[in-house]
Amino acid sequence: MSSTKEKAQQRANLLQGTLDMLILRTLLYGPAHGHQIGKHIQRTTNDFLQMQHGSLYPALHRLEQRGWVTSKWETAPDKNREFKYYRLTEKGKKQLVVEESKWKQMAEAVSSVMWPVTEEN
Amino acid sequence: MRWWQTRKRDADLERELRSDLELEEEEQRDNGLSPDEVRRAAYRAFGNTTLIREHVHEAWGWAPIERLLQDARYALRQLWRSPGFSIVAMMTLAVGIGATTAIFTLVYDVMLRPLPFAQPDRIVTIEEKVAEWSNLYPTLPVSANHFTFWQQHNKSFDSMALMQQFSVPLGAPGHPLQVEALSATPGIFSVLQVQPALGRTFTVDEAQRGHEHVAILTYDLWREQFGGDPGILGKTISLDGFPYSVIGVMPQSFHMPSIQTMDTLGTTNHPLPIGVLVPLTFSKERLAEEMGDLNYFGLARLKTGISVAVANEELNALQHTISANLPADEKATLSAAITPFQEKLVGSNRKPLMVLLAAVMGLLLVGCVNVTNLLLSRAVSQKRQMAVAAALGASRAELVRMAIRETAVLAVLGGGLGVLLAACIVPSMQRYLPPALDFRGALHLDWAGVGCAFLLATLATLAAGAAPASMVSRTAPQEVLHNDSRLASESPRSRRARRALVAIEAAVSVALVLMTGLLTASLVKLMAVDRGFTTERTIAATVELPSEGYHDRQHRAEFYRDVLQRLNRLPGVEHAAFTSVLPLTGGGWGDMARISGDSRPVTQLPLENFRSVSPQYFSAINLPLIAGRFFSESDWGKNLALVSQKTASSLWPGKDPIGQQFSRGDPATEKPFTVVGVVSDARTVSLAKPDPMLIYVPYWYRVEPMAGLVIRTRQDPSEMADMVRQTIWSVDRGVPVPTVRTLSGMVADSVANQRFEKDLLLFFAVSALLLAGLGVYGVLTYSVAQRYREIGLRLALGAQRPSVYWLVLRDGLLPVAIGAVAGVALAFGSARVVGSLLFQISPYDPVLSIGAVGVLLAVCISACLLPAWRAAAVDPMRALRTE
Repeated sequence: MSSTKEKAQQRANLLQGTLDMLILRTLLYGPAHGHQIGKHIQRTTNDFLQMQHGSLYPALHRLEQRGWVTSKWETAPDKNREFKYYRLTEKGKKQLVVEESKWKQMAEAVSSVMWPVTEEN
Repeated sequence: MRWWQTRKRDADLERELRSDLELEEEEQRDNGLSPDEVRRAAYRAFGNTTLIREHVHEAWGWAPIERLLQDARYALRQLWRSPGFSIVAMMTLAVGIGATTAIFTLVYDVMLRPLPFAQPDRIVTIEEKVAEWSNLYPTLPVSANHFTFWQQHNKSFDSMALMQQFSVPLGAPGHPLQVEALSATPGIFSVLQVQPALGRTFTVDEAQRGHEHVAILTYDLWREQFGGDPGILGKTISLDGFPYSVIGVMPQSFHMPSIQTMDTLGTTNHPLPIGVLVPLTFSKERLAEEMGDLNYFGLARLKTGISVAVANEELNALQHTISANLPADEKATLSAAITPFQEKLVGSNRKPLMVLLAAVMGLLLVGCVNVTNLLLSRAVSQKRQMAVAAALGASRAELVRMAIRETAVLAVLGGGLGVLLAACIVPSMQRYLPPALDFRGALHLDWAGVGCAFLLATLATLAAGAAPASMVSRTAPQEVLHNDSRLASESPRSRRARRALVAIEAAVSVALVLMTGLLTASLVKLMAVDRGFTTERTIAATVELPSEGYHDRQHRAEFYRDVLQRLNRLPGVEHAAFTSVLPLTGGGWGDMARISGDSRPVTQLPLENFRSVSPQYFSAINLPLIAGRFFSESDWGKNLALVSQKTASSLWPGKDPIGQQFSRGDPATEKPFTVVGVVSDARTVSLAKPDPMLIYVPYWYRVEPMAGLVIRTRQDPSEMADMVRQTIWSVDRGVPVPTVRTLSGMVADSVANQRFEKDLLLFFAVSALLLAGLGVYGVLTYSVAQRYREIGLRLALGAQRPSVYWLVLRDGLLPVAIGAVAGVALAFGSARVVGSLLFQISPYDPVLSIGAVGVLLAVCISACLLPAWRAAAVDPMRALRTE
């Protein structure tokens, strides 16, 4: 029973890491608030990745806790209201590179199994 | 951001979520939905905001703390709802933890706290052993001659020192201040590894006779008597009437325990800390004596890597060499005993302290068991609540947490109160510190004690909370929830657990009661023992003659003759007498009597305790004369002696001791003593055992500067104290009279430690008994409530009320009886330790053992009566209708 639990935990970690990467990548365009980040990911993936707010906000706060993003209440340019904007830090940029290369390795590993090189012949 | 800013941060999070939610709503509105639908759609898209917040809290990493605070709040609320239970449980834990912490602090201070010196575990005391005298003195202080030999030949010690402690007047004659002086060889500074903060240590030159008039002050004496004078070095102070040049001041951190040598053995509880250090020197003649005076306290520092056993072996070998070279008339078999300094200082206080610690831990155990019992019955009543939680998906860990949180809060509150209690008790225990270890200043609760309390609270939580928690975690929700009726009774497992707990309480209580009984009986016997002397209407005073004007025996004896004459003339005085040692403050000096014609080596001679007394001493304390006569003032100057019966029958078996002669030391040079009388044996050294062989010599033969007066009065002695002082001062105003008190008070004081132990044990035992009674009551009340219907059924089927009574009584007393047997077994098992603290009573005493069980049964039966009465009063009709 414990081993299945462990696997579930690992899967969650993998997905969490991916979500972190996606958020960091989104913030590379410039500061954004939670709603914008969620919507952006959803739109860019053609609604393939439905953003769950239940994981988005904890992820944002976790990233802030680690110092990869900072937050600040700012007035939105098109609305007359304040939103909490998240901004990528230098540390966050470095982390993005790390996450990206990890993901690439992973993707390559998966594709080399799925689509072996013999296909080139 | 820290966890205590949670609230602010949480508000921020709420604001963030709300603003984003509003944005979502706006977007939905743009899709052209009605306001109601907009809201619903937005919430659907957003999800459960409470859950999101919880998840974010987890991400912050504060969830455990939040949960803890929530648990604490919840537990406090639950405890608040049943104040009776909470107060009883909390006070039980507070008393248990507080008392244990206080006793532990005392034990820690006496036995565990390192002495305030560098590497204190390397410091050891050295004593000599003389096989021929081992019956009277198992170990003896060190002789200067042997010490010098060890110093030259040993390979085990870094440094060694000899020392002596005495009390001397400091300052101008007339108003001298009495200070404790430590006279030590120069090695003391390297043994203790301390250096004066100001000035220097003794030089080798200053350790020679004639050059020893230099002094090093302790920090406190320097501050208090010399105002911390920075120019004190080189100044001259007057010690014992002689000028001493101050060469140093010890650092503030230097505190030296009082040491005991032959002169002070058992006589004084040095009340003052050491104030001044002076060099200890030996005359050429003294150093040349092959046996010498075994009268110096030996202290040494072991070399790194050398164990006590190895060093002892080496010293034994050196002692063997010394023995082989002793002259024929002093033949003795010598060896040595090395003891770590701290162990030596603790001495015989170890056992009583351990017994007290064990007893107080027993009390704590009973307290924990009681709280467990209370918690168990609460857990049973909360079973449904737990089952609901389990059915709703609470994990096993969460259930255990729910079950243990109340215990934890109780333990924290009880522990806190316990620490407060201990902080109040501890300072009052100062006077029970062994005098040798009472040199570090005021005793107070410190971190060691608080740490102990904390540990105890944790243990109490685990011990008291474990059973209810394990019961709860085993809860099968469907069973409990199905079983809706009140018929459901306690599970057999829980019943067994509760009965086992009552048995434990009973066992520990019986053991404590029995031990208290033994100590009390022992103390009663000790006080009632035939002392052989009387204390009624008798005053005892101590006098310290300064050297100034009283530097020889002649002057001192004349002073006392004068004082005694004046005292005896007072109308209220029956007998006033001089004695070198007051009753129950020590043995006197040890010496060998050589009967005329006996030419054995001195070490083969029997060892007796000598005392010098004035003629009226025997009448003053009513020590009966068996044969012959007392000496009188008209014998002034003659070498006469009285001997105790034991001495008479040992030295002159079968002969008439009157008129016999003996001498101390060399008969060729010393005038022999003539025995003029025999007095009866008594217990003047210790109430616990008959006196050794005693020889009384007249005070004109020997008077030490420190001595005592005993005065038998015709009236209330407490009114005479002032008159005694005035009379002494009418002879010489400058003579200090440190204490004047009743002799009966001194007798009571000689057993003060035993009384303290008995009082504490009594308190522990009564508390444990009360708790045991409470435990039995709780278990039975609960079980009667559980069996309400069963009892109703029995009565309806024709059971007689007395048989119901009996049913409940048996239920309550069976575990108590089993526990009582186990408790007596426990007490018998520790008989070896306890026995050594007892006087004329066996640790297996049948009457007391039965009595202890009887007391426990009486308490428990009375605890059973109310529940039993309630059971018997059950109305069967109502009981059966409650379905």
